Order: sequence, then C-alpha cells, then structure tokens
Amino acid sequence: MLEIKNLHVKIAEEDKPILKGIDLVVPKGEVHAIMGPNGSGKSTLAYVLAGRDDYEVTDGDILWNGESILEMAPDERAASGVFLAFQYPMEIPGVAGLTFLRTAANAVRRKRGKEELTTPEFMKLVKQKAGELNIDVDMLKRPVNVGFSGGEKKRSEILQMALLEPTLCVLDETDSGLDIDALKVVSDGVNALRSPERAMVVITHYQRLLNHIVPDKVHVLAHGRIQRSGGKELALELEKSGYAEFGEKDA
Amino acid sequence: MTVAVMKTKAEQSFAEGFSEVQEKLPGSTAVRAIREEAAQRFAELGLPHRRIEEWKYTDLRNQVKDALPPRSGEKVAMTIADVIVALGPLAHVDAHRVVFVNGSHRPELSSPGGLAGVNIQSLASALETAEGGNAAIAGIASQHSDAVMALNTAYMSDGAVVQVEAGAALDKPLMLVHIRAGKAPCFAAVRNVIEVGAKASARIVEAFVSLPGAAGDGQINTVTQVNVGEEAVVTHVKVAADAGEGVTHLSNWMSRIAKSAEYRGFQLTQGVNLARNQIRIDFDGEDAKLDLSGVFLGRGSDHIDTTLVVDHAVPSCESRELFKGVLDGNARGIFQGKIIVQQAAQKTDGKQMSQALLLSENAEFDSKPELEIFADDVVCGHGATCAELDKDLMFYCQSRGIPAEIAKVLLIESFIGEAVDQIDDEAIGEAVMAFARGWLS
Repeated sequence: MLEIKNLHVKIAEEDKPILKGIDLVVPKGEVHAIMGPNGSGKSTLAYVLAGRDDYEVTDGDILWNGESILEMAPDERAASGVFLAFQYPMEIPGVAGLTFLRTAANAVRRKRGKEELTTPEFMKLVKQKAGELNIDVDMLKRPVNVGFSGGEKKRSEILQMALLEPTLCVLDETDSGLDIDALKVVSDGVNALRSPERAMVVITHYQRLLNHIVPDKVHVLAHGRIQRSGGKELALELEKSGYAEFGEKDA
Repeated sequence: MTVAVMKTKAEQSFAEGFSEVQEKLPGSTAVRAIREEAAQRFAELGLPHRRIEEWKYTDLRNQVKDALPPRSGEKVAMTIADVIVALGPLAHVDAHRVVFVNGSHRPELSSPGGLAGVNIQSLASALETAEGGNAAIAGIASQHSDAVMALNTAYMSDGAVVQVEAGAALDKPLMLVHIRAGKAPCFAAVRNVIEVGAKASARIVEAFVSLPGAAGDGQINTVTQVNVGEEAVVTHVKVAADAGEGVTHLSNWMSRIAKSAEYRGFQLTQGVNLARNQIRIDFDGEDAKLDLSGVFLGRGSDHIDTTLVVDHAVPSCESRELFKGVLDGNARGIFQGKIIVQQAAQKTDGKQMSQALLLSENAEFDSKPELEIFADDVVCGHGATCAELDKDLMFYCQSRGIPAEIAKVLLIESFIGEAVDQIDDEAIGEAVMAFARGWLS
C-alpha cells in the first residue's frame, strides 16, 4: 500500500512550494488516476515518488508497504518495487538497449535477493515481453531510445516496467504523444500488469487514457493539493467541464 | 643581448646523460653525428615551457623534475607470459607482435617468423646502415623538430622499421609492444618508422604498457612516423595505458597521407601522470581521408595534453577529429587542434570536435581549436564541449534500479564509446574499451 501523508515539496534550489499537503492512499490491487491542469504538480509528485533529488520534501512522508521511502536513493526505491514511467523517456546514446535492460533487471534482482538472469534466460524473457508490446528485439540492440518515435519510447518504458516487475507503478502522462493505435498497445501492456499485488498511479491530463486503463479511483490535483476524489465517472465529468472549477483554465 | 637561461635539473641531466650513454647507442658514424647535433639542439632549446605558445598549457620545464637514466642496455628477465600480462586486454587481439622492453628489441618475446607482405627490422639494426639510418632520421620527423623530438633523435635506442609492400593486405594487425619493466625507473626513447606501400592495407597497434612490479616512475619519449602510400588504407592505434604513479609519456605521431589514401588513427591515454601527445598530419595527395580520434582518462594529478596539427596542403581531402576526455580529481586535460587549409587546398572538408566530461570540481579541461584557412571553397567546422555527468540520465538509470556507481560507468562508457567506435577493427576496439573499463572500476 502507498500512503502519502501531508506531503509538502519544493524545488531544491528555490523557495516556491509545489506540493502543499498531499494526502493519498493507494492500496495494492488498485489503479488510481491523478488528473489536473498543467502546472498543478502532477509530474512533481511522480518524480518525488521515484526519488529525484531536484525536489525537497519539506514536510510529510511517503510510505510504501508501511516504510518511509524518503531517505532511499532512486535505485533502492526501484529495488523495493517503485517504477516511474517517464513522460519524456531519456535517450542514452552509446548504451545498447539490451545492455541497459539487462543491467537494470539484474541490479534489481540482486537487491531483491534473487539470482541474476543468465544471457539465455534474459533474452527469452525480453523476447516474450517485447513481443507482447509489439517491440522488435532488433530495436533494442540500438542505443536506449535513440531515434525512437514518441510511441516507441513509451512502449520501451512499459517494456522496462514489465522486466523490472515493480509493485508500485507510477505512469506520468503515458498517453502524451501517442496515436490511437499506440495508446491501445501501451494500455494493453499496462493492463497486463494489473494484479492484486500491484498498486498503480496513473497521471494524466486527459480522460482518454482512462478509457483504456480503467481506474478504481480518480483524484484531481490542483494548486498542490488533492481537490476532489471520486470514482471513474469523475474523469468523464472533468472531460466535460474542464478544470475551471479548480480555478484553472483547461489548457 | 643574450640572456643565459638557467638550466633546470632535468635539462642538465638529459644533457649529461647523453654524453654518458652516447657510445652505447646504436648507429653508424653518420647517425652518431646526427645524434650529437640533436643533443646540441636540445641543449639550446631546453625543455619546452609555457612561454612557447604551443606549450602554453603544458610546461615541461616545470613539470619534468629530473631525467631518469636510460637502461636500454640492461636486460630485464621476462617471459612471453609476462608480455601477455603486461598487454592486458590487448593480449586478446590476434596480432603479430614485436616486443620492446625499456626501449630494447626483444626478439625472443616477439612473434616468431614474419608477417606476409611486411618487412620488419629493428631500428637499432637499421641505424647501423646508411639506408636505414636515412629512413629513420631524414624522414618527415626531422622537418618539425622541437625539443622533444630532438631529445628522441639524440637518445632513441630502438623501435620498429616497418615496410608494408605495395598491394599487400595484412591478415592480422601488427602490434608494436613497448613494455616498461624492472624495479629501476628509466627513460626510454623509441622510434617507429612505418612505410605503407601503395594500395596496401594494414592495421598497426602501438602499445605502451608496464609489467606489474615495474618502477612507479618512468619516462617515455616516442616518435612514430607513418607514410601512407597512394590508395593505401591504414588503421593506426596507440594505447598508452600504464600502471605506474609517475609516468611521463611524450609522444609524436608524424603521418603523411598520399593521394586517395585513408588513414584512421586513434589514441588512448590513461594511467599516465604527464602526457603530451603531439600529432602532425600532412596531406600529400588529393582525395585522401583522415579520421583521427582519441580518448584520454585522467585522475589524481594527471595532466594529459593532445596537440595536433592537420595540414591540408592539397585539394579535396577530408579530415575528422573526435577526442573525448574523462577527468576526475585534480586532473587536467588539454586539447589543441590546429587545422591548416592552404590556399591550394580547395574543396577541403574538415571537422573537429573535442569533448570532456568532468567528474570533479577540481578537474579542468582546456580546449583550443584553431582553424587557419587560406582557401575559399572549403567546409570546415570545430566544436568543443565540457560538461559534468548528465544528472537527468543518472536519475533515469537509477530509477531503473541501477546503482549510482554502475550508472556512472555506463554513462562514461557511452560517452567515450563514440570515439572508440571510430576504430574499424572490432577486436582492437573491444580491447581499448576493456582498458577504459579497467580504469573506471
């Protein structure tokens, strides 16, 4: 279970607060959507969950499975099951995709006390997971995400997620830059990972992603706080009314 | 008015050392005279210092404290197994090896027999004949003789004189292995002279390595002359990867590229406390191609200088330079790249890039690109960057469970990989990467 308690966050180098007291509980087995206008702090929340050090937590706590993760480095969080699918996946020139995936998968396995995957085991796993996401394994021989289209990058994120077997998945604007077909593939990939053991936080500006990844709960984040929570119908309501009621123009 | 400049301890020792060893150095009477002349020239010039523009960043007068004695006459007991240990990752490259220890040829440690299409002679024996002496001394090296070159001419004890026959295609790389060994610190001056005939193809590797247990201090002064014949294709790789704490590596590459030839050069420098890699390239015929790249890795107080001059004297040639440095601790990297495009050299296509990754606040990179263009129909460009490890990429890797230390190595490898990829021989490229990886971990 993910528990966010009274979370206050600012940018490390500045004084301006971004998150001003977030309270949120996401039990295992549930998918919660976080919606909100641009600049409301959605991506900040995603980064803080993953442990990016550009942000400073000034108050409150984040508990994952009952333990605070605030003091944990990003790689330790990943080992404990946290995964962030980036809104803008990074390109790493010079590092082959397969090398990257294998280094990551085995680093996480080591920390979880599991045996490292041998090359044949790893290749078998990659081929299977990549196949499910319509990713050509040849593409993974190229440097990580270099020259990939927006859709390919997002699929590559979900492939990483599938290989690292996280228990808390945070998806930051996974629908941005995707056409309808790619959206379907990515959503199917995410849905395949839904399980009673996994909690998911899906951050999105638009409702359309939630037609494919149907959430258990929807929260509206604006001005650094959760303003409203409800069922999946809240997303449809927002699609009609926009975020105006929260004092922001729909962007 | 003449001003008497005080000689430094090192300058005095190099001068006095020469009179002590000159009788033991190889060479005909003519060679001896040239050596004496060079020693005299060195005595006049002294070690280069920061007031000389090209040496602004590397003040040898200040940085070379003393001269170590040459020990080319003393034989350190070694086996082929030792050579393999000293070569490290390069031992995995299937090559024809010619081995030198502390500046002396060691046939018993070298590959037996010959390599088809090549005539290889030791410089020491070549210098005994008028013809060989001419090849080694009267070649291009004498035309650009600075104090470091003069020191080499005076002291050079051995090296390889290589002639690749016209039209020959070498089936494996030729590896010239220079090993520093023995507990006594020493100075070694070596010279390799390589002539590649027309339409021939060759891969040549120069390795400057040390045997575990070798003295921590050492001084190497090396000159390599390469003549690339018309339509020849040459890959030339130098790996200077020492394990000592106080090793000085002074290197000069002098390469001449004939018409329609292709010359691909690469230099790796690591584990060297003070390095000056000078590269001089002369285009001698039209439609020739140069691809020069390198990686330098420094930490502690390492000082690694790459200074190159590419002279486009003829039209329609292409030159590419890509040098990448990783600097940690108080290390300092220097890149000076001068591209001359003479008036006749129309249709020249030249591009240069130097990049450094600074891993600490005290590391420093100085880059000085210089384009001297006298022709009007050319495409030339240069660039230089200096940056820290990309924080966003570090976070991305870490968020995938990769610990910071491993992520760092992965990103550094990817940074230098672009330069290492310029080596068009997979086995050599892998060995170079393995050296770098060893340095990183």
